[in-house]
Amino acid sequence: MSRLNIDAATLARMFLAGAKNLEANQEIINELNVFPVPDGDTGTNMTATIMSAAREVAAEPDADMEVICKAISSGSLRGARGNSGVILSQLLRGFTKVAKKHERIDAVTMADAFDKAVETAYKAVMVPKEGTILTVAKGVADRARQLANSGETDADEICRSLIEAAEETLERTPEMLPVLKEAGVVDSGGKGLVEVLKGAYDGLLGKGIPFDAKAPGKQEEQEEEVRIKHAYCVVLRAILRQPLNRKQMSDIRSFLTSVGGDVQVADAGDGISLHIHTDDPGLVLQRALLYGDLRDVSVRDIRTEGHTEPYEGKPLTAENLKLDSPEAEAAPEEPAVPAEKKPIGFVAVCAGEGMAEIFKSLGCDAVIEGGQTMNPSTDDILQATERVNADAVIVLPNNKNIILAAEQAAKMCEDKKLVVVPSKTVPQGIAALVNFIPDDGAEENAAMMKDAIGGVSSGEVTYAVRDTVIEGIEIRQGDYMGIGDSGILNVGKDRIEVTVGMLEKMMQDGQELVSLYYGADVEEEEAERLLGRVNERFPGVDVELQYGGQPVYSYIVSAE
Amino acid sequence: MRTAVVTDSNSGITQQEAAELGVFVLPMPFRIGDGDYFEGINITQEEFYPMIEGGLPVSTSQPSPADVTALWDRVLGEYDSLVHIPMSSGLSGSCQSAKLLAEDYGGRVEVIDNRRISVTLRRSCLDALALAADGAEAAEIRQRLEATGGESTIYIMLDTLSYLKRGGRITPAAAAVGTLLKIRPVLQIQGDKLDAFAKARTAAQGRKLMIRAIRDDIENRFGGIGLHDVDIDMAYSRDEEAFLPFRDEVREAFPWAGEIHYDPLSLSVGCHIGPGAIAVTATKKQHYGEN
Repeated sequence: MSRLNIDAATLARMFLAGAKNLEANQEIINELNVFPVPDGDTGTNMTATIMSAAREVAAEPDADMEVICKAISSGSLRGARGNSGVILSQLLRGFTKVAKKHERIDAVTMADAFDKAVETAYKAVMVPKEGTILTVAKGVADRARQLANSGETDADEICRSLIEAAEETLERTPEMLPVLKEAGVVDSGGKGLVEVLKGAYDGLLGKGIPFDAKAPGKQEEQEEEVRIKHAYCVVLRAILRQPLNRKQMSDIRSFLTSVGGDVQVADAGDGISLHIHTDDPGLVLQRALLYGDLRDVSVRDIRTEGHTEPYEGKPLTAENLKLDSPEAEAAPEEPAVPAEKKPIGFVAVCAGEGMAEIFKSLGCDAVIEGGQTMNPSTDDILQATERVNADAVIVLPNNKNIILAAEQAAKMCEDKKLVVVPSKTVPQGIAALVNFIPDDGAEENAAMMKDAIGGVSSGEVTYAVRDTVIEGIEIRQGDYMGIGDSGILNVGKDRIEVTVGMLEKMMQDGQELVSLYYGADVEEEEAERLLGRVNERFPGVDVELQYGGQPVYSYIVSAE
Repeated sequence: MRTAVVTDSNSGITQQEAAELGVFVLPMPFRIGDGDYFEGINITQEEFYPMIEGGLPVSTSQPSPADVTALWDRVLGEYDSLVHIPMSSGLSGSCQSAKLLAEDYGGRVEVIDNRRISVTLRRSCLDALALAADGAEAAEIRQRLEATGGESTIYIMLDTLSYLKRGGRITPAAAAVGTLLKIRPVLQIQGDKLDAFAKARTAAQGRKLMIRAIRDDIENRFGGIGLHDVDIDMAYSRDEEAFLPFRDEVREAFPWAGEIHYDPLSLSVGCHIGPGAIAVTATKKQHYGEN
């Protein structure tokens, strides 16, 4: 083939093809899961990260190298989700730092760019671990340097060799990380990087999956055209048979986006209200019927009525839904935004309306719905921070897979001081917030909160999504697992007993309070039974039961 | 020229201790249900808490002017003048009333408004005694105590906010501390009203927090004074046994503090604070009468 000499347009094409290939393989990557819990999937997180950049790149046709590089870097930094997403965004940032200074990328520039990528990504992680995407990236960078030193210039040869280096390193990850070996998988983030490189090579060859900027996820930008195209305006309310979780809400949104435009959906807990312009109202009605009874259905022909404007009624929010059920009417109003600027505000990430209420009652200004299965992006955290009227904002990620994205947000936040207290669990976040001292500064408080986190033991009870052996414990699909700060503490079929057994191993001397937060899938009556069992098992300890409403985790427990 | 020291029962000084120290203590009145009581006169700590826990409505009031002047007249029968050190004017109107009454005494009664309460008020009384023994006149004692009144700090952890809310004795910020979770509020008193300082979920966390706050105040707010220049005093409501481990922790945290004085909270404070509270205070030593 020809000499490696990538210009801006080629780089854009390669990047978009790499992104598409990662997206196409995200489910395979999601399967490479060490812990058998339903959790924040690497494939999904990396795809969301790279797609955020791909959209920016696609919006810059005919741009020069500097513009393309900036689009890749800023798009991925803002869109970064999960640890693997943050590391990917840092790799891209490092790579483009070098690439943007050149009109064309040759073998030597390629080697320099990969070196910078690796250097930047390692720096972004507090304690870099080998056997991860970092190691795979390093394998690629080393090979790129070797090739450059050897005078290799053939594009085909270089690309194939870099992919080979990535795959070889990936195969060795189980040797470096025992948890991978035990679970019998290679590192998922490393696999993601391999797919990006493969896609990029296809892009270079001109045979990759074409990137379609109008694919889902692009609906905001395409509203302008879609709105005029559709024939009917559908507005309806559905009284839900049971509340929808965030996954279901997001499913509804993606479904609606796929059958129409100008989509608005509002969730009021026991009811949803939606507005859409579509050519097939029947599909919308059928879908809505899956969730409950329909009220106030209106279907209008917007071609004849000339209704070409987007929905202009009141914004569809929980407040103005006015559903018939008394619960909806009695729903507590959001506290008004205080006019006065606070010195210190809080943003917390948690899942479940009960948890959100608890955080708000402790003085948290903004709650980002998310957690183990839904890692918010750096941009989500930045936007939530923006909404808080305070000079400094303390962010509580409450999950170890969200801390890096929060720290990335802290570096990017310009208009206020953003301080991350690296809480790994929801109880740690609650302990941090409880320990807030308004008279002290943000840094002082953050230090105190880190200290407070150390005094709390956390435990979470969930179910296994597949058979596996971890730390010598055999786990069957559907078993309940009690996971503490140090790993799996208890496994069994009865989740009350699993929880009590987990607590026995969690409790440390001198701890005097146990808090039990029960999840969305637990009936109050069962939670009360657990409360009774814990009281019986730990006399002399205060035990508090709260509704968390979190998905996935039947119980989140803390001892302090 | 002999000057007497008069305070009220919110100093935590009992009638018996008053006789030993040589100060005079005005019993604070309060009402529980239909009964009128005077602290240390016709009700004890042991009788008091079961009554308020039973939900009987409690209200406190200022001492009646007649009781105040009767005590002053008796004291002035033996002394040339007196200083009257009532509980903080930020927490009660009794200081203001006493000032009005004192106008009729032609300078023989000096009312001191130095914004203290409980064991820190007790410290003021001891300071006043030392100054008086040194021959200071009433007006001088007032001036010196008022100048140094702010050099003390109190942290108190409550078992519940409900008693305080009932009495309306807290700032809106402190009242908002209530949350979905069970929280032990830690309040601070620096002169005026009680204000929210922090929250704790467990007693151990709250105790640690208060010790840290005291240390911080000594190092920062009192401004670089030597540690030997600070008195650590403590207080509790109702449950002495639950309080004593805290005293031990404080002693360990401040080994230079010498013997730590502690009192049960006066009943007219206790009825607003409720049972199960523990408090630690730091007061800058004045070294009166030592030279």
